[in-house]
Amino acid sequence: MDSKRLEELLQKYWNCESSLEEEEELRIYFQTHEVPEALKDTADLFRYFGDFKEKNIDHVPLDAAAINKAAKPKAAGKVRSLVYNTMRIAAGVAALVAAIWFVHHELYEPPAPTVAGTEKEPEDTFDDPKIAFEETKKALMMISKGFGKAEKQARNINLFNEAKEEIQEQDAQSSKKL
Amino acid sequence: MNLESFQSRILPSKNKLFRFALRFLGSEEEAKDVVQEVFIRIWNTREQMENVQNWEAWCMRITRNLSLDRIRSMTRKQTQPIEESFDIQHEDLTPHESTEADESMNRINQLIAALPAKQRQIIHLRDVEGYSYNEICEITELDMNQVKVNLFRARNAVREKLTKINAYGL
Repeated sequence: MDSKRLEELLQKYWNCESSLEEEEELRIYFQTHEVPEALKDTADLFRYFGDFKEKNIDHVPLDAAAINKAAKPKAAGKVRSLVYNTMRIAAGVAALVAAIWFVHHELYEPPAPTVAGTEKEPEDTFDDPKIAFEETKKALMMISKGFGKAEKQARNINLFNEAKEEIQEQDAQSSKKL
Repeated sequence: MNLESFQSRILPSKNKLFRFALRFLGSEEEAKDVVQEVFIRIWNTREQMENVQNWEAWCMRITRNLSLDRIRSMTRKQTQPIEESFDIQHEDLTPHESTEADESMNRINQLIAALPAKQRQIIHLRDVEGYSYNEICEITELDMNQVKVNLFRARNAVREKLTKINAYGL
């Protein structure tokens, strides 16, 4: 390419009147020829375009199989989230049922056997008068024992009151004498 | 579109899509993500795309839109990472020549990155990828006149700035 042709092509290039073929001609020229100092910038620009075109994505594992695989997880994700949500609901329901059962068990079930007696408390005594008598006797003994304790405490209080009254009387008598 | 036509029609344009996304985003990693996203989008909508005439132009347009979306969502300037990402090696040059060449390439890269978005897209499509004006119109969704005006402005802006830098060191 002579200098006249080069000048003509560059003029067309800067005015955006060059064809793709002419631009390719310029690119090849600048890549393969030493250029005068005045055209160094233009040569650098064309070399830049050529270098940038070398940038590629080939080292990235990107193929149809990868795309296909990448495109699928959306559907799988929906199923997974559906299963996950169902399991969450099921876990909530299970916890609720367990709570209801526990409360029901604690409130309405008879208490566990006592420590002292391995025997169970009789559930009902209507059918057996002997057991009914024993249970009544036990209940009355318990009440009696309670009364006994209360009487003892009341006696102590009474003693205290009597002592208090006696002291008050002595105080009254001594004040009269004075 | 089946897997075979996807491989033969769409995948060969992956490097062009990558470079176009890189021109917008300036980061190779983000450009790769965009290309991957473009392919996934095409694959997921492959049944509706039978009537597309120019697959490559159509893929480039999707790349442009996704790159712009990404820029909007990230709200950052393109110029900074582009400077960092330019790492072309010149193995046959001496270290001094290599440094000089790298400086020159980086300078041009910065000048192009600083152009307005339309000019930047169009100079890339024409001067790097070698697309015809009609294809550029299709990709950028601009008319012929706008494409030519923007290309003219882009080329001459770069030329003037390079001349100033070399003449006055500006």
